[in-house]
Amino acid sequence: MKVLVAVKRVIDYNVKVRVKPDNSGVDLANVKMAMNPFDEIAVEEAVRLKEKGIATEIVVVSIGPKAAQEQIRTALALGADRGILIETDEEVQSLDAAKLLKGVVEKEAPQLILLGKQSIDTDNNQTGQMLAGLLGCGQGTFASRVDVEGDSVVVEREIDGGLMDIKLKLPAVITADLRLNEPRYASLPNIMKAKKKPLETLSVGDLGVELKPRLKTLKVEEPPKRQAGIKVSSVDELVEKLKNEAKVI
Amino acid sequence: MTDSAAAAILEKLESILEPGKLRTDAESLDTYGRDWTKKHTPRPLAIAFPKTTEQVQAIVRLANEYKVGIVPSGGRTGLSGGAMATNGEIVVAFDYMNQIEAFNAADRTVVCQAGVVTEQLQTFAEENNLFYPVDFASAGSSQIGGNLSTNAGGIKVIRYGMTRDWVAGLEVVTGKGDVLQLNRNLVKNATGYDLRHLFIGAEGTLGLITRATMKLARQPKNLTVLVLGLSHFRHVMDVLETFSAAIDLTAFEFFSHKALKHVLARGEVPAPFEGEAPFYALIEFEAVTEQVLEESMGLFEKAVEAGWVVDGVISQSETQARNLWRLREDISETISEHTPYKNDISVVPSRVPAFLEEIDAVVTRHYPDFEIIWFGHIGDGNLHLNILKPRDLPKEEFFKRCEQVNTWVFEIVQKHEGSVSAEHGVGLLKKDYIGYSRSPEEIEYMKAIKRAFDPNNVMNPGKLIDL
Ligand SMILES: Cc1cc2nc3c(=O)[nH]c(=O)nc-3n(C[C@H](O)[C@H](O)[C@H](O)COP(=O)(O)OP(=O)(O)OC[C@H]3O[C@@H](n4cnc5c(N)ncnc54)[C@H](O)[C@@H]3O)c2cc1C
Ligand SMILES: Cc1cc2nc3c(=O)[nH]c(=O)nc-3n(C[C@H](O)[C@H](O)[C@H](O)COP(=O)(O)OP(=O)(O)OC[C@H]3O[C@@H](n4cnc5c(N)ncnc54)[C@H](O)[C@@H]3O)c2cc1C
Repeated sequence: MKVLVAVKRVIDYNVKVRVKPDNSGVDLANVKMAMNPFDEIAVEEAVRLKEKGIATEIVVVSIGPKAAQEQIRTALALGADRGILIETDEEVQSLDAAKLLKGVVEKEAPQLILLGKQSIDTDNNQTGQMLAGLLGCGQGTFASRVDVEGDSVVVEREIDGGLMDIKLKLPAVITADLRLNEPRYASLPNIMKAKKKPLETLSVGDLGVELKPRLKTLKVEEPPKRQAGIKVSSVDELVEKLKNEAKVI
Repeated sequence: MTDSAAAAILEKLESILEPGKLRTDAESLDTYGRDWTKKHTPRPLAIAFPKTTEQVQAIVRLANEYKVGIVPSGGRTGLSGGAMATNGEIVVAFDYMNQIEAFNAADRTVVCQAGVVTEQLQTFAEENNLFYPVDFASAGSSQIGGNLSTNAGGIKVIRYGMTRDWVAGLEVVTGKGDVLQLNRNLVKNATGYDLRHLFIGAEGTLGLITRATMKLARQPKNLTVLVLGLSHFRHVMDVLETFSAAIDLTAFEFFSHKALKHVLARGEVPAPFEGEAPFYALIEFEAVTEQVLEESMGLFEKAVEAGWVVDGVISQSETQARNLWRLREDISETISEHTPYKNDISVVPSRVPAFLEEIDAVVTRHYPDFEIIWFGHIGDGNLHLNILKPRDLPKEEFFKRCEQVNTWVFEIVQKHEGSVSAEHGVGLLKKDYIGYSRSPEEIEYMKAIKRAFDPNNVMNPGKLIDL
């Protein structure tokens, strides 16, 4: 079974983001970039499927600038077999990303398409759903467990108030939630081997897609600063402040 | 001390300090009378929280008047009993002298009160696009005053040196009660003895540090972490030599699988790789260019071919870098429930393999029934040797047995011209062993210096050296 995994290059989760002075966006100059954490989980799941003998080939695809090759190489080091970069320096919104991924799916014909449930830069949580819609196939979002059974897959989903099991016919789109697995580190020997794995570059036009942003960012602002904490010297003072200043008790 | 003398001291302390800044309740005495060590029982007279240098000075004068001891207390993360008040002393705690008072961008310096928490300074530096490079697992609690008094080292020493290397100037109150401004933040100052360096590492035995001007560095770029599994501890220095010849390392740490097991048992961070190695090296450097990364891969390959290294991982994101660091940084905390007997010893890096071999032989011979945990800042020749207390063995008996073997361990340290305390200080716990690292003549000079600054021996009496 062939598995396709989409990975995105995003600002590193641990970086303290700074808003550009003109409020047009987040400053990305000289900022550490990394693979979207939910995509790491999606890659790990694909690798585990391969280790179980269920997946036979893992193809990773990323849409973004040339530097997104780094994230593809990381996925290759983790165990993916080959990579595809759809190279563009333009802004790619969810629907365009879904259309581009659809183009890759049509070329590659994977049985399973894995994505992260959302990317931590824009938090849209839409690409997987849109892709399933465009492909007309089933979708298992917020997956916390994935069991392939013959020509279908059972996905345990994290939903409000509990877990929901659904069964999808393959091919299907699955988006990974946090608890699906714990991704491994890329080992140094595998990183070196990954350098020799094939990585193909496509343009947006190669897939017959034209990028059409439908949303316009008006303004990006920092969240309001949290007030500094204070030290109280006794329990009585704490109770007094909670009652009269914070008015929470 | 008579009860009436004690009452008089407390009354005078009340008048020196702001209201509420003197505590004598049992809980405060117990909390502020101890550091991280578990061997001694705290028994201070009172806990004073001064807010100004003048108040500190008044406390010192009072102590001289009544010949009562003072124990300076910082973040109380010390590992040698230096901040233990076991003998009716006045504990001077710096919790309310915790302001960052000034920042000078041109000089790249920050004026800190002694009670500024290490992490507070690190964060402040970061907010100003700079870097305070002294760092270790207790940085969230330890204070600049405590760091200076122990000359704290930590995980970045190989590149940035010790706390001592980041001090532009100090304000101190000597044991005699004089306030001195030492070095006045100058880069160059060829006017005689540099007293600043006497107070750094003095463990509060010469006076109290009330203020420090600390230097900052530029921020490191793209710090990348490698964790390598070593086939044998013997090869740790081969790996160090190979890497540091080609790349400027910002850290080179070492830990055993036994140590790692405690961190992994907590389940908060994943293992570096599937298999296990008896020992690990953690290497950090600035991956400023793709070339540096390539270079590190080449070095890794060389280390594997030589048989030194069995497997390795490299961080692919800041999150991974942090998690890899936790494999090393969480060791102290995760073993602390086992009442570890800690030795913090050092030799010059080139002697590490021979030194390790000998220490290992001694401890396995004498502690066959104890769990021994190795880790340390091995790039600096600094090893933390921890012996864990078996659950059913009483504390007193455990410490007694550990101390017996100390002699053998320290004889090996002495033979290799090393130090019985690399960065944790001497305090109460290592006082009896200082002779393994310092000559009798040297100790005599140390005593003479102490007498010059603290003739009545009020400053942290009984710590480091006895007069
Ligand atoms: C988990 C853990 C990890 C650690 N890792 C490291 C490490 O990697 N490297 C390292 O070097 N240390 C390490 N330590 C030891 C400890 O954190 C350092 O020694 C630290 O510098 C102590 O600072 P503190 O403020 O807690 O000092 P305290 O423990 O409060 O005091 C230490 C000594 O300084 C004196 N003192 C404190 N403040 C003043 C002052 N203002 N004026 C004069 N004397 C004063 C005290 O009397 C005492 O003798 C570690 C400790 C823990 C618990
Ligand atoms: C043209 C010129 C340029 C200079 N530029 C600089 C400069 O850029 N930076 C700078 O810092 N200095 C400079 N100096 C000053 C001088 O060179 C330095 O102070 C140098 O370190 C002195 O070394 P010396 O061996 O000549 O010492 P000496 O002049 O012989 O002695 C200097 C002091 O050290 C003592 N002393 C010497 N040897 C010992 C010893 N073995 N043990 C104990 N005490 C000892 C002496 O008693 C004396 O007090 C310059 C001097 C000249 C003439």
